[in-house]
Amino acid sequence: MGYFDNIRESVRTIFEGMAITASHMVRKPYTIQYPDRVDVRVQDTLPFRYRGLLDVDLEICTGCLACERACPIDCIVIDAEKDKNTREMVLKRFDIDLAKCMFCGLCSEPCPTGSIHHTPEFEGADYSLESLIRRFVKAPVVAYKPIKGPETNPEIAPLLARGLRYLDEFASPGDAS
Amino acid sequence: MSTAIDIDLHREGPGGLETEEMTLNMGPQHPSTHGVLRFVVKADGEVMRRAIPDIGYLHRSIEKIAEKVGYHGFMPYTDRVDYVSAMQCNQGWAMACEKLAGIEVPRRGEYCRVIACEFGRIASHLISVGATSMDIGAITPFTHAIREREYINDILEELCGARLTFNYMRIGGCAWDLPPGFARRAIAYLDRFEPLIDEYNELISFNKIYVERLANVAPVSRERAIAWNLVGPNLRGSGVPYDVRRDVPYSAYPDFEFDVPFGTGERGTLGDCYDRYMVRMREMKESCRILRQAIEGIPPGPVVAKVPRTFKPAAGAVYTRVEGSRGDMGWFVVSDGTAFPARVHIRTGSFAAMAAIEELSQGLMIADLVAVIASLDIVAPEVDR
Amino acid sequence: MQQLADRLIDHGFLSGLPRELGYVLVVAFFAFLMLSFIMTVAGVTSWLERRVWARIQSRVGPNRVGPQGALQWLADGVKNIMKEDIVPLAADAPLFKGAPYLAMMGFFGAFAVVPFTENMIVADINIGVLYVSAVTALVVVGILMAGWSSNNKWALLGGIRSAAQIISYEIPAALAILTIVLFTGTLSMQGIIREQGWAPWNWFLFDNPFTFVAFFLFFISALAEGNRTPFDLPEAESELVAGAFTEYSGLRSLLFFLVEWGNLYLIGAICTSLFLGGWQVPHFTENGFVLGLVQFLTFFLKAYFMVFVAMWIRATLPRVRVDQLMTLCWKYLVPVAFANMICAALYFAILPHGSIFVRLGMFAFGLGLLVHFLNRVLFHLRRAKPELHFSPIV
Repeated sequence: MGYFDNIRESVRTIFEGMAITASHMVRKPYTIQYPDRVDVRVQDTLPFRYRGLLDVDLEICTGCLACERACPIDCIVIDAEKDKNTREMVLKRFDIDLAKCMFCGLCSEPCPTGSIHHTPEFEGADYSLESLIRRFVKAPVVAYKPIKGPETNPEIAPLLARGLRYLDEFASPGDAS
Repeated sequence: MSTAIDIDLHREGPGGLETEEMTLNMGPQHPSTHGVLRFVVKADGEVMRRAIPDIGYLHRSIEKIAEKVGYHGFMPYTDRVDYVSAMQCNQGWAMACEKLAGIEVPRRGEYCRVIACEFGRIASHLISVGATSMDIGAITPFTHAIREREYINDILEELCGARLTFNYMRIGGCAWDLPPGFARRAIAYLDRFEPLIDEYNELISFNKIYVERLANVAPVSRERAIAWNLVGPNLRGSGVPYDVRRDVPYSAYPDFEFDVPFGTGERGTLGDCYDRYMVRMREMKESCRILRQAIEGIPPGPVVAKVPRTFKPAAGAVYTRVEGSRGDMGWFVVSDGTAFPARVHIRTGSFAAMAAIEELSQGLMIADLVAVIASLDIVAPEVDR
Repeated sequence: MQQLADRLIDHGFLSGLPRELGYVLVVAFFAFLMLSFIMTVAGVTSWLERRVWARIQSRVGPNRVGPQGALQWLADGVKNIMKEDIVPLAADAPLFKGAPYLAMMGFFGAFAVVPFTENMIVADINIGVLYVSAVTALVVVGILMAGWSSNNKWALLGGIRSAAQIISYEIPAALAILTIVLFTGTLSMQGIIREQGWAPWNWFLFDNPFTFVAFFLFFISALAEGNRTPFDLPEAESELVAGAFTEYSGLRSLLFFLVEWGNLYLIGAICTSLFLGGWQVPHFTENGFVLGLVQFLTFFLKAYFMVFVAMWIRATLPRVRVDQLMTLCWKYLVPVAFANMICAALYFAILPHGSIFVRLGMFAFGLGLLVHFLNRVLFHLRRAKPELHFSPIV
């Protein structure tokens, strides 16, 4: 009879449901109590490919403007011109408007040296919109010229190594894995 | 943004009593994860006469933006078309562009795409069933579903660096290959997840109160489902076994063996809310099956084909379809030979489902409206783009 | 308490006052004491509820304010009191402002007959249980007033649904209580407790199968009367707004919530008195104070266990739709309650003093259910594989 079936079904399923929730009461909770009750810095645990705030290693920037062209939101503004006397690229301005950036990673892909890259940093909240425009060029610098063979300058070599390792993560056509 | 709403005041009720129809507003702010949706509900006490949807609160002109940013630059925007399951949107756009330019994606790239899409499908269905449970009143299954989704987010974060707006695919393949250790972690997760689907079912799906709330509510017959343009689990819940992955095969799906679950009216009428809900639960299991096959059988090789930095396909129009979590997502791209598309249109399943609610809601109780919206799995970004 | 008042007026420090004034002062003092106690219990219940829900949902819950978050309810209370007191322009102001107090009166008045220990009861009237049933009906008036005076269609819907729900579920609750009263012959709360013993098989819960069923009937009906899930449609849904209490903010809404949590404790207290043996403990000491303390703790813990079960049910079950709620009451609970009462009456006619075999049998049955439940819990624990952690933080 449907009447008693209903009662039996209700009792059975409610009993089962209560058993499941009771079993959950004794399991460990999943919560990570960030930021004050974690053992390690969260930024250190993020994977290498994590697309956090952008950073530019100006020492290895070649001034090719590939990132400026690739950005769909036009949040990167670079002023780079060839100095007529020394025939070198000089970077006068490299601004990234982090308020507009959507952390898509399209800028870091075409960079030849990995100078513009995403960092695991994600705590960028601030009180003023102005502070979100990161200006990486303080005084005009000469752009980096990639050399054949390994880089010997001890200040630039580690940056370049990191940049190339970052670029290695991206898949390239014809790359057997 | 005003719709013509006719209010019949002073209706003659039974016994010559004058009654009024109430016009209620289920405003754009909801404590549920369906996004900003608005319904103007004309109700006669507890029973609804009509629930008129009002859309556009999340319109971001994504289709117009495509004409400005170009083919490569549009990929991150496709994440935002349905941010709950972003991978399938990436795939839709990539496939449309590849069809325009005649680019072939390497085999390994196709497998990576399938892995990403199926993980995205599980994540999206978890949100859907969690939100349905929460709307019906049970608060814990939602947190359990979100907890499982967090694990998937961790897996995809290792894969592409982001947890919600992945931007994983590129025209011609994928941007990143599977990281070392991915297969081991993914299989470990699937081993953990599949028994939890059973636990979830026993907690809420088979619960008598839950079944009573969802069964026999808003049944949609096969003919009506097809006529109203419902797709995905909504269509399959009404008994139509149509799945784009199997019937219009694309990418690497022909290599895999999987079933397409569809509703049979097991607890009520065919095509009611319970059928649609159970189709989603079963699809998660099928996605696990596909994932195991894909991870095990992934071939070596490159994951992306060579595509010029400035993408200029030949002039023409193309329409591709992918099986998104919410159904058949159609991508219509018109190219005029320049580096910027002339027109992009995205056809989403939630848009048609929103339109279907107006007819479906007649005669339902107000408490059922929430169940219907949840079971049709409507997300606002898909409706408004 | 009557004797205490008389003693104070005749010899104690209230001597010299007219008798009625003395009574009023004593009653006011004890009412204030009771109010503080109940409000504290209601506040702590709100914190405990959040912690229990959180553990069920695999998360942690409030644990920052005070040790383990135990002062969270104070912080919430202060926040609510400091909020702006909004009375909508088109609302009926006197009704709007008075509604929380009526609801408060409804639930708080019932505490006059709750027996905390053998001697600690405000008024041991001989119609105790009936009085509780009657006074809690005032809450309906409060909710209806809230719904109507808010001048808000959602609030009106919520208020009316809530009123219909509470009135309907009074009937199975009263029938379940009557089943117990059949066996005790008295409506007085202390009398009912004195009929039970301290051992579980001497509780009315395990007295015979009919009181066992009556317990569940009463608990379900009491949950429905308290607007708790699975019957909280008027308050938590009403289309995703707060139902009858939509327009309330600040202190007034805090009062409604305190009514809800305090009601939980009242339900626990009534369940304990009627079914779980109340404050009964074995007479292990002659020291009246220690005995009283142990009795108080026993009663409190038993009542609080029922509160915990109510919280646990709320976290587990979905809501019942309004028409299904009515169907459940009138088509399922009321006939079963009637049938139960008639069978109980027959049992009482055959065995006026019960039977130790039936009691022990029912106790064994209860234990069997508990063992089966723990078995299922262990099964689920075993099936869920150990926690995976990809991130090295955890």
